[in-house]
Amino acid sequence: MLKLLKTIVSRPSGAIGLGLTVFHILMALCAPWIAPFDPTAQNADAILIAPSAQHWMGTDTLGRDVFSRVLHGGRLAIAVTFSAAVLATLWGGFAGIFFGTVGGRVDEYSMRIVDAFLSMPWLLFLLLIISIGGAGPVTIIPTLGFFYGVAVLRVIRGAAMQVAARDFVTAAKARGEALWPILSREMFPNLSDILLVEGAMRWSWMLLAFSSLSFLGFGATPPTPDWGLMVAQERGLLSTAPWGVFWPCVALSSLIIGINLLADAVGKALGLDRATAIAV
Amino acid sequence: MKKSLLLSAAIAVASTAATAETLRIPHELGYGGSESIDPISPQRFYEAIQNVYSRLVRQGDDGRPSADLALSWEATPDAKEWTFKLRPGVTFHNGNEFTAEDVAFSLMRTQSETIDSPTKGVMEIIDHVEVVDPLTAKVVLKQTHADFPLLVMDYRIKMLDAETCGGDLDALCESGVGTGPFQLTGYDPLGTTTLDRFDNYYGGAAGVEKMELIAIADQDARVAALQAGQIDFIYALSAEQVPLFKNNPNFTVQSVPTGRWVGLVMNTTLEPFNDPRVRKAIRMTADRDALGKLVYGKDGFITSCDHPVWSGDQYRAEIECPRDIEGAKALLAEAGYPNGLTVELFVSDISEGAVKMAEVLQNQAKDAGITIELVQAPSDGYWGDVWMKEAFFATGWSQRPADQILNEAYRSTAAWNETAWNSADFDAGLDAARGELDFDKRKALYGNLQKELWENGGSFIPVHLNTVRAFSSKLGGIQPVEDFSIRYEDVTKSGSGS
Repeated sequence: MLKLLKTIVSRPSGAIGLGLTVFHILMALCAPWIAPFDPTAQNADAILIAPSAQHWMGTDTLGRDVFSRVLHGGRLAIAVTFSAAVLATLWGGFAGIFFGTVGGRVDEYSMRIVDAFLSMPWLLFLLLIISIGGAGPVTIIPTLGFFYGVAVLRVIRGAAMQVAARDFVTAAKARGEALWPILSREMFPNLSDILLVEGAMRWSWMLLAFSSLSFLGFGATPPTPDWGLMVAQERGLLSTAPWGVFWPCVALSSLIIGINLLADAVGKALGLDRATAIAV
Repeated sequence: MKKSLLLSAAIAVASTAATAETLRIPHELGYGGSESIDPISPQRFYEAIQNVYSRLVRQGDDGRPSADLALSWEATPDAKEWTFKLRPGVTFHNGNEFTAEDVAFSLMRTQSETIDSPTKGVMEIIDHVEVVDPLTAKVVLKQTHADFPLLVMDYRIKMLDAETCGGDLDALCESGVGTGPFQLTGYDPLGTTTLDRFDNYYGGAAGVEKMELIAIADQDARVAALQAGQIDFIYALSAEQVPLFKNNPNFTVQSVPTGRWVGLVMNTTLEPFNDPRVRKAIRMTADRDALGKLVYGKDGFITSCDHPVWSGDQYRAEIECPRDIEGAKALLAEAGYPNGLTVELFVSDISEGAVKMAEVLQNQAKDAGITIELVQAPSDGYWGDVWMKEAFFATGWSQRPADQILNEAYRSTAAWNETAWNSADFDAGLDAARGELDFDKRKALYGNLQKELWENGGSFIPVHLNTVRAFSSKLGGIQPVEDFSIRYEDVTKSGSGS
């Protein structure tokens, strides 16, 4: 693990990615203790104050401190999307390894279903499900986990097919080993690295998706400080008070860039080529 | 001679150029495209009907009824019979003559059970309309109403052509034929509805040749459209949007105190709001001055105490409603919620500040142990899908005279009785106020009704708004009056291109 970390930080992009990701996670965890103001406290005498010594990132239309809201803004998004990314990686990874290993008609028919899901306009389906099930983590986590898990499945299944064609898997089959031991002992260890990188990549995309949902009013609800919601609420003021939109955008994009760079560095450190998603 | 001819020709050309412009205003798409061109439809297409049809009387500069299709009116001493003398020589867009028959048709159809118009509750006071002669209509009321002309001043009580509408009192009339300054030439509520100047308009030709009513559901998009020059006019600017236009020479900003309000509605028949103590507890948590400043800016409002009668109305009752957290907690405990209460509030970007108002009340109410969970609904279709469907939701009303708004929103039989307020005493109070001929006594009666709403009603109306509008500097003739009283026929547009 230490060796892996050293390899990651040996590349500038890896160090930046790791730094940004860890920074945001720490900020989210420590926000209640380091934020200078209550992120939901409204102040009629401090509406739309420009960045100053007192309010580093200014205040919003309800007089709330933007810096405190930005610090808190990642908490819900990170928690929800990390949970959804784990879910997507687990089910998508397992299904991908399974279908890539068994092959045949089961795989063929299942992939057509996967193709159908991949061809759907996922944001519309997300909105449909959330409008029926209601906004909130209970609906959003499984919904994001399912839709992004489909893509994980597709990638992992492709990698699994290549692993399944190798001699050691053929030998295991020839020994008469059952499917589960082959999946757990032969396939999974050889695909776990790809799964890790794939999960990290999906996490960053989910962050964008969750923020989009919040922007549209289907993710976080007021007064929760959330980057997407903050952008939605202050977007009409871009030309007069841009700080209310600028800082949440900076926070969101820097976290996404950080996760992407980190995933890339992890992949390279593990000897993976992300273009083909196989060991090189 | 030659010189003066040339000058005349130049003036004629300039005049033609000035009036050959197209005035483009946004249409808010509040009913998601199912708008109706019938003025009394529950889904009336406001921007279109305002320009296509005319009223018997309209609001004058002093706020009182002034002549429109009726030139004069008088009442019997008991104010139960009102005789309207009509303007002669008025024609509809299809050439039909406007007569007292059309007045009788237009007024009586407002009571149709089938149409179920939001005006029904108010206009049910009419017993019948007698056609005295083609230019004289006598309206006989079921009960005395000392301010009856105020009722027909309503922006939806328009005069329709009885013949074109087939004379059917129970059917919506989608002909779009009126006597207004513009005639309907293209109807597309989801896209662009087009109106052409009606050259025979009795008030003189309108200042622009065409109008386009462009569907734009989102206020931010409307602001962007005005900035980009795609439309010429927007209303209901928020406090934060004003600086976008205020110091820009290409735009003019108007701020006008009005009786308009954005509020939150508790359905008085649904739990937990069926207990008046819960309703009052929620209202008591509000610091109205702070709320107004946060949502509308320090100069954008006048505080109110949960009744809809605005400060400029002669019947407004001044009530004190300071924030009282301990009082709210005590009421909640009495109502069986000693540990607080959690409620869902449905909001949308339907009227300026609605979502922010909900957020501010949410923040203020938590001090009394009231948790308000906000549910954001899409703005397009809100009035059909959420409004009057949920237990706690946002609303918005334009300015109306005291009698009209109290009858339209709180009479038990009113179609837009959004709080489901059902009080026989209140209805009797409304009748008594209408029947009282002495002004001071009438004012006292209307005052009692307003106090009753503060004590027990289901509305949260913390402030009445100044309406702030912005429009292109090319426009002229927009008077500083509330939105429903703008006379678009007086609007001119200069400059090239339309």
